[in-house]
Amino acid sequence: MDLERLAGVVSAARARIEAASDLADLAAAESETLGRRSEIAVARRGIGRLAPDRRRQVGRAINEAVGVLTAAVEDRRSALRAEAENALLEQDRVDLTLPYGRPARGTHHLLTRTMEDVCDVFRAIGYEVAEGPELELAWYNFDALNTPPTHPSRFESDTMYLEAFDGRERSGPDELLLRTQTSPMQARFMEKNPPPVYVVVPGRVFRTDTWDATHSPVFHQIEGLAVDSDITFGDLKGTLAHFAREFFGASARTRFVPHFFPFTEPSAEMLVWFNGQWLEMLGCGMVDPNVFEAVGYDPEEVTGFAFGMGVERLAMVRHGITDIRHFYDSDLRVLGQFR
Amino acid sequence: MKVPIGWLADFIDLPTRDPHELERILVSLGHEVEGIEEYGPSFEGVVVGRVEEVGPHPDADRIRFCRVDDGTVTRDVVCGAWNFEAGAVIAYARPGSRLGAATDEPLEVGSRKIRGIVSHGMIASARELGLGDDHDGILVLDELGAATEHDLGRPLEEVIGLGDVVLDVSITTNRGDCMGIRGLARELAAYWQVPLRDISPSFPTGPEASAFEVSISDPEACPRFVAHQVDGVRIGPSPLWMQLRLLAIGQRPISNVVDVSNYVMWELGHPIHTFDADAISGGQVILRRAEEGERLETLDGVERPLAAGDIVVTDPSGPIALAGVMGGASTEVVPTTTSVLVEAANWHPPSILATSWRLGLRSEASARFERGVDPNLSALATARTVELVALTSGGVPRSQAVDCYPIPRMPWTVDLTAHNVSRLLGPVPSFGDALSLLDRLGFGIDRDGRSARVTVPTHRADVTRPADLVEEVARLHGYDRFPDLVRHGRQGSLTPEQLAVRRLREALVGAGLTEAQTLSFIGQDDLDALGLPLRDPRRVTIRVKNPLREEEAILRTTLLPGLMGAVSRNVARGLKSVRLFETGRVFTARDDPEDPRIPFQPVHLAMVLSGSGVDVFAATGLIDLLARVTDRKLDLRQESLPGLHPGRAAVVKCDAADIGMVGELHPAAARKFGLEGRVAVAEMDLGPLVSGSPTWMLEDVSAYPPMVFDLAFVLADTVPAARLLEVVEESASRHLESLELFDEFRGGSIPDAHRSLAVRITLRAMDHTISDEEAAPIGRGIAAAVADRLGGVLRGSM
Repeated sequence: MDLERLAGVVSAARARIEAASDLADLAAAESETLGRRSEIAVARRGIGRLAPDRRRQVGRAINEAVGVLTAAVEDRRSALRAEAENALLEQDRVDLTLPYGRPARGTHHLLTRTMEDVCDVFRAIGYEVAEGPELELAWYNFDALNTPPTHPSRFESDTMYLEAFDGRERSGPDELLLRTQTSPMQARFMEKNPPPVYVVVPGRVFRTDTWDATHSPVFHQIEGLAVDSDITFGDLKGTLAHFAREFFGASARTRFVPHFFPFTEPSAEMLVWFNGQWLEMLGCGMVDPNVFEAVGYDPEEVTGFAFGMGVERLAMVRHGITDIRHFYDSDLRVLGQFR
Repeated sequence: MKVPIGWLADFIDLPTRDPHELERILVSLGHEVEGIEEYGPSFEGVVVGRVEEVGPHPDADRIRFCRVDDGTVTRDVVCGAWNFEAGAVIAYARPGSRLGAATDEPLEVGSRKIRGIVSHGMIASARELGLGDDHDGILVLDELGAATEHDLGRPLEEVIGLGDVVLDVSITTNRGDCMGIRGLARELAAYWQVPLRDISPSFPTGPEASAFEVSISDPEACPRFVAHQVDGVRIGPSPLWMQLRLLAIGQRPISNVVDVSNYVMWELGHPIHTFDADAISGGQVILRRAEEGERLETLDGVERPLAAGDIVVTDPSGPIALAGVMGGASTEVVPTTTSVLVEAANWHPPSILATSWRLGLRSEASARFERGVDPNLSALATARTVELVALTSGGVPRSQAVDCYPIPRMPWTVDLTAHNVSRLLGPVPSFGDALSLLDRLGFGIDRDGRSARVTVPTHRADVTRPADLVEEVARLHGYDRFPDLVRHGRQGSLTPEQLAVRRLREALVGAGLTEAQTLSFIGQDDLDALGLPLRDPRRVTIRVKNPLREEEAILRTTLLPGLMGAVSRNVARGLKSVRLFETGRVFTARDDPEDPRIPFQPVHLAMVLSGSGVDVFAATGLIDLLARVTDRKLDLRQESLPGLHPGRAAVVKCDAADIGMVGELHPAAARKFGLEGRVAVAEMDLGPLVSGSPTWMLEDVSAYPPMVFDLAFVLADTVPAARLLEVVEESASRHLESLELFDEFRGGSIPDAHRSLAVRITLRAMDHTISDEEAAPIGRGIAAAVADRLGGVLRGSM
């Protein structure tokens, strides 16, 4: 085969390969162009019969031709495979906007979240979190907190008491009640831990309040207590102002005004400027010396501040909720909005 | 307490009358201002007029024809009132004036024909002018000392001084001294450093001394009793200026004597009572505690049983007033009263509190006595009342008051050191500044270097200790002026238990459950609905003594009723799929092991799932999730449990302890809560689930390939799947990496009451590839153990 003819064969073979319509046709084309009976194979087998000077020249040309055609077959094979796969994938097309495979997810209760948020603000500045019993002794709920025995907050119109249940006589400081505030944990915590104390106490509290948009017989509070050798009124203000900024946003402004609580002296109320008005947000004050005495701390050795805030109120203010009953009705249309 | 700004100005020269500025100052002093109201005329264009002529109406008996001079012209007016004659100075609503601006029916006054005569406008009554309820006659201004003929034609509101701004101030329970205008004025005087213009009552007296003898049998109940008799009293209306002030604070004018009592109470913060002196028998007043069984008809006409702790004013016939709470009907000042006994007494605050709450009689007087009234104010309050009674009723006071004050309250002292102040407030204000602040508030100061003896005025019963003085210093210094210092604590990490609870909630929310918070109260019906047998520990409950409702009278022993109620409300609202959980305390009647003085109140976790596709495995799957989240081993011991489907219930075990239960609600119980279909529930004690586990350590992983093979066994139905897995695990080699039960099959060649369970076993060694040869005897060992211990037969071959 002369070289001119070879060029023609290669050109035709190449066209055949590139025209292969699918993988089977390509296999046929490969066999036709490079197989044992192909013109090139035949020519290769005839090389030995050529004159030595021609032999090298033709041999090289045929090898080149085989290489070119083999590469052409491989290219075509890749192309056909890709085409075939693409056709399959095209058949595999789905509508991704179909709502399949979505993992279920519930929501946390907003009160739980709010309590975690508040606790986390204080944890970030080194306050631990503690919880206390909901059925509490009058001693911790009232007496240890410097509340006089005749104070109206002790009346059944405010505080829920219990019927006798185990034959034990309980009266005075030993009487059991549903705690009306998280403050009793102040006394419990100090009894168990020597100063310094830095703690916040989230929890459920109870009052004899009938349901309306802002009252619920069950609600939640977070108590805070800091006791050390050198705490002043400025520490109280700054710490709570810090809390307000963390909770309501960096621009939250606070104002402290005098108030009265039996267990703090001086006492204050913190107002927060939110949505264009001053809102009463929490009660606070310097721990009354009588409280320190009740728990066995020396009021000459330590000072401290305490505060208590309503969780429902915090959540209602921050999230524009106007009816406290939403928290306890468990309506999934409401719970589902908590996030 | 309602505080008209004009009334404050009686006592101090106000640097400002801007209500918002006054609000800011009062709030900064600890007196919350709950509202600011304008108190002004509800009429327009009404002027002072004089009746020139009055005569009968030619065509009507019950109305009269008048000629009224408004200072410019004299016009015809027809009037239905008979309480005036010619010459009376009256409120003339001219044509074009308006009445009742604030009411539903404002009236435009015009000229109209009444029985044939054109009436040009009208002569107005107090009620038509919005100045009280009196509608028996017209408002006769000169009789009330409110206007004279020199005022003709002037706007009525200007002449009678109508128009003030009223602050509604909330006084904290420790500040009884601020329950009067004078007390608040004293606060403002200290703030502005201006003098308080105090009152000094004076009045002419008659020659006779008081006929009453007063004795106090219980000085704790009644520390002081001051009484002053005024004779020759004519009961009638009080002067208009007084009526207007009472109207401004929301008190209805009644009569001169009653109005004066209210006025003085508001002015001085000291409640006053007045008796009809002639109705007190025996000339004797005795102050004592009531005896059980005594009764008293109070002013409101209700006969009330008295309790032993009540304090009563008595005469020899028995109780005549319930001290500090309400007067008695028999000695009430009535229109025919001519002799009045004015009383300013001091009562034991806790007793007044107890009585007023017990009887549900909360009054302005009881609110003051509850907070405590300074007994040293009683004489001034009596004198002020007597002065005003004499002035407004023409009465003549007796020569002197009867004052029974067995143990006078003397000012006391509190020693204050510079350290007391600085340890609570910091370096500012200095001790010197602190003392001058106290001085401004009326405390007496006797300084000796770094300490001072502070004398407390007797109206400040709330101040007994250095801390109380420090609060006064801080208050007047201004809370806003203290620095803001952020106080850092020591350690803010959560305990392992707290962290575990958070992760557990996170996992449940991630698994599609929504957290609920339900009430801590349940009703007996809830326990019945759950189908709990009588001896079930959840029926050992504690009842609330004063519940709001019977359905909420019991402290919950289980979270399920609350959650079931929540599910059923949601289903009733049309939601199909409801999956809720709650963590919260339940209440047992057992002692808390850590504090036996209180009942044990463990925190429970409960879940309720309802909706299509829900069955018991929805709940058991969550138990498995909890085990993985908390790194605890939780096992199920299937058994029949109260309230649950007998074939679909199990006790949840954590380590060796039973901590709760899981199952499907018994259909009967579900129906009680209004639910159809399967309801999966679980409830357990959270404590053991989250109790601290040591920090976990990483186990090394192998670089060699696994050997995986499946085994299927035919087992009796009585063998729980968990038991098969236990046996396989125990009998597999130490190379067991994982074990999975992947198929349950019944029927075909499997005998009745049997099933095939298939497990996939994955072996992997740390140091070599496990070959078939090594795996074969392990498989045979497992098969032998299952056959031996569970009677299981291996199906097919490995």
